[in-house]
Amino acid sequence: MIPTAEATIGPFFPPRYVDAGANDLTQFDDRKAQGEAIEIAGVVRQEDGAPLDNLVLEIWQADAKGIYRHPADPRHREADAGFFGWGRAATDKEGRYMFRTVRPGAPQGRARHVNFMVMFSGLMRILKTTMFFPGEPANDADPVYVAVPVARRHLLVAREEAPGRYCFDLKLRGVHETPFFDD
Amino acid sequence: MHTVIAPRDERTQPVRVVPGYPQTPWRNPKEPLVRRPPTLSELTGPLEVAKRVKLLGGDIAGHGDRQAIGQLVHLKLRVLDEDGAPVGGTVVEVWQANGAGRYIHPNDDDHAPVDANFYGAARLLTDESGSFELRTVKPGAYPVPTKDGWWRPPHVHFSIFGRVWLSRLVTQMYFPGEPLNGQDRILNAVPDAQARERLIARMVPPAGNPYNALVFEHQIVLRGRQATPAQP
Repeated sequence: MIPTAEATIGPFFPPRYVDAGANDLTQFDDRKAQGEAIEIAGVVRQEDGAPLDNLVLEIWQADAKGIYRHPADPRHREADAGFFGWGRAATDKEGRYMFRTVRPGAPQGRARHVNFMVMFSGLMRILKTTMFFPGEPANDADPVYVAVPVARRHLLVAREEAPGRYCFDLKLRGVHETPFFDD
Repeated sequence: MHTVIAPRDERTQPVRVVPGYPQTPWRNPKEPLVRRPPTLSELTGPLEVAKRVKLLGGDIAGHGDRQAIGQLVHLKLRVLDEDGAPVGGTVVEVWQANGAGRYIHPNDDDHAPVDANFYGAARLLTDESGSFELRTVKPGAYPVPTKDGWWRPPHVHFSIFGRVWLSRLVTQMYFPGEPLNGQDRILNAVPDAQARERLIARMVPPAGNPYNALVFEHQIVLRGRQATPAQP
């Protein structure tokens, strides 16, 4: 069967689509996630630089040991019971979003990273990208990172503004456009 | 079980920059999208999302003296994978305009009236056969503020997780026989006619419907097939 066509999320998804606390991945099932708590925040902009309000971001990542909470991961039985790995946030009027999570471990064959998804009015298809961490020698061997043209790779690397506080801005189009993936 | 994801036929998916949809040229990447090898990271994804978000019931047309205004409809949907296998236990988020074409949203400043008895959203779980149902009212059409006569036809929004990160889908469902379907810039952004047709629900005989509602059936296909991993 042929996959159903995507469509824009539009501007009018319900206010409760983004539940309070959905952007906090540091606890799950009344347990605290293992590992180092970090914050990932940034601003999302369009081609003319205007910040985008009412935009939805979702993230998916491995736990502090690099394990995914999913049966396809051969190590999933050892996954952190206090870490769900998925979160959702919306941008505010200044285009800002924020996630609280833990620093992911490096999954087998990959550098540590966080998957991002962008859903927004005027985006007919979900945009997917991946955030990498600064100062990680493993980035240069990561198959997703090296799939991106050399000149654009730095746009996937977050900036550490303070210990454990990362800035990952997204530019949907134009100068410093974030690399997005065609999967 | 592992999930295998194959590239999609681009003609069955919408173009990104849509003529007459003024936001699209500002927000969609100009650079070519980057092909990447699928890894465990994209071929896993959040399961049991109902443990992280609150489910909201699938009966949103109201009851007693608090009934939403509009044509009562019963939507029966199935979520399948590319093999036609049901995708059970996945979270589906649904939202729509009220019978007059107005959303419950602070940014919807259309002049159509709010219906105090219609919130217009649900969050459901598919059963083992991949099915879910919604008792609601048929959404109204509404004008898009492009001021050039574009009206959205009646439609319902769905956001579905599926088994892996790459099966995540946000889509819209349309109603059969609507004169606005043929002019809608979002529906017609999909180049392939059959793929557009698959976005339109099917009306089925309403006889015996427990809600005394008009009945529409619809199928949603998520990306991916299940594969048993090769033994080492």
